[in-house]
Amino acid sequence: MDFSFPKEYQLFRRMVREFCESEVKPLAKVIDREHRVPHETIRKAAKLGLMGVPFPQKYGGMGGGEIGYCILMEELGRVCTSTTTVIGAHTGIGAMAIYLDGTEEQKQKYLVPLAQGTAIGAFGLTEAQAGSDAAAIKTTAVRDGNHYVLNGTKIFITNGDIADIITIMAVTDPSLGAYGGITAFIVETDTPGFSIGSLENKMGIRGSSTAECVLQDVRVPKENVLGQFGAGFLTFMKALDVGRASLGAGCLGGAEAALEASIQWARAREQFGVPIATKQAVHFMIADMAAEIEALRALVYRTAWLIDTGQPHILEASACKLFGSEVAHRCINRALQIHGALGYSRDYWIELGWRDQRITEIYEGTNEIQRIVIAANLFRPYGMRIPT
Amino acid sequence: MRMVIPIKQILDPAGITVRRDKERIFINREEYIIDPGSKAALEAALRLKEERDQAETIAISLGPARTDDALREALAMGCDAAYLLSDPAFEEADLSVATLILAAAVRKLGGADLILVGRQSGDTGAGQIGPRLAEALGYAQVTDVYALAVENGAARTTRRWGKGYATVQVQLPAVVTVAPEAFPPRYPHGARIMNAYREWNVPVWGCADLNLEPSSLTPLLTFRGESFPPPLEPERFRGNPTTVAQEVITALTLHKLINPGGGSHGL
Repeated sequence: MDFSFPKEYQLFRRMVREFCESEVKPLAKVIDREHRVPHETIRKAAKLGLMGVPFPQKYGGMGGGEIGYCILMEELGRVCTSTTTVIGAHTGIGAMAIYLDGTEEQKQKYLVPLAQGTAIGAFGLTEAQAGSDAAAIKTTAVRDGNHYVLNGTKIFITNGDIADIITIMAVTDPSLGAYGGITAFIVETDTPGFSIGSLENKMGIRGSSTAECVLQDVRVPKENVLGQFGAGFLTFMKALDVGRASLGAGCLGGAEAALEASIQWARAREQFGVPIATKQAVHFMIADMAAEIEALRALVYRTAWLIDTGQPHILEASACKLFGSEVAHRCINRALQIHGALGYSRDYWIELGWRDQRITEIYEGTNEIQRIVIAANLFRPYGMRIPT
Repeated sequence: MRMVIPIKQILDPAGITVRRDKERIFINREEYIIDPGSKAALEAALRLKEERDQAETIAISLGPARTDDALREALAMGCDAAYLLSDPAFEEADLSVATLILAAAVRKLGGADLILVGRQSGDTGAGQIGPRLAEALGYAQVTDVYALAVENGAARTTRRWGKGYATVQVQLPAVVTVAPEAFPPRYPHGARIMNAYREWNVPVWGCADLNLEPSSLTPLLTFRGESFPPPLEPERFRGNPTTVAQEVITALTLHKLINPGGGSHGL
């Protein structure tokens, strides 16, 4: 058993950390205030291969696999959750669905520009009546010659308004339900009939856009059916499974930043004539943070290794997302407490981290859904079927 | 055009604490990095390479097995090839022996049009490898270079000159030592980082490969032990403010803590 990172990943982490510290961290507050991640930052990330980390080099990717991608998410998570979300939605679910289920032609046409970062990706699942209950979508796709005509409205689509390519899930046969009646499509956002409705005014991750995407008679060529016709639900679930591990990695980065800031502040802040780092109340909070972070790190990278070696990983990936978001929640909350009034101030970054963290317990499958997924995987060997 | 970049791997200064009171250097985190001067030399070479169709960049480094990491990082940054110069006979190398080994490696590569090195390293900081290598190979040399262009078989350089800058042109082959502040290094591309360890090789050259007799590698300097320099006595300046200010500037300049009138580095 060897828990050390291979050397290419050590060097990759050093490069990513330098990039994040000098190109992303100084902008984190501006990104929050101006509600956008600068194109320039994305362009710089793309130039280093950071928009396609997990994908093979023959598709324009970096060849870093899930482990490399988790390193990127962890390092980004330390400095800016908005940027983590933009790159995460683009890579981890948007492009990932095409990588996992696309044909060779689709990969050459769509995955290559996504992985190279010359196109931005997004993932179109959620609707007004369908979030956790993904199979309840109402968007329809009807065959018309060599095309499918899509109609419906997607909401809460991360990157929706900046994306060039969106994978969209639509009902192709209402009588067949989730398994058989839903198909995934690759949609180019400059197709006539595709438009952006409102943008969400969010509590956190304000630099990442969350858009309503309206599809009105959008004609998609039949070559753009992603995965098997009627198996769109499975295509999307596979992408989400992989995405959950990297979400845990982003949470890991956020938790680490909270711990490091707490240690530094506790050493610097004096009360009653001594640094608060001498107080047991502070020790206990910092020790709990460190212990949970160690556990999360082990979980995230073991799960990434399961994915890279082609082993079953659904339970573990859900655990990454569930445990990761809750560890991040507790860590940033303790960090805020240790920082006291400074932590509550908009002049410092802790309150931004606190606002940004909260979404990780909700998006890409709420934590309640993750618990159902985990339980379903535990009961399945006994013949109990829990629909997820 | 063939460019050879001899690079140095140093202990990351960020992982070191110097305790003058204990007269000891504590290594908190033993991590090795490419010396910042060497990284600037790599950057200068890669910029020249990008400007032309026919150019190759070859990184070489003298050091123990761990130096392999520095050379792979050089490959990741964009170098075409890298060679590790490592042999038990090289372990005691001082500057004169290091020069012999590096010069032998350049000859084995078939010579170079341009050799780029850092102005001085971040650890020992002698600043001698560039000039010594130029002498050993019979190449022209320019040191402390801030801007560099190559055309018609000559290197046109801008270097520090007193309180300003001078343009110096030399015929190739030449050794150029670069000022780190003028060539901020690029980040390596992620895919090249993966390939540097998974796809590409860093051959190791020892005495036999370089046609060097171990007996010829006797260092001129021998290591006798280390000690801290004596602490400086504090100097006190008194008198009217104008005179005191002048004296302080002179003292700081003598200790090379400031460089008045040195001008901006940003050319």
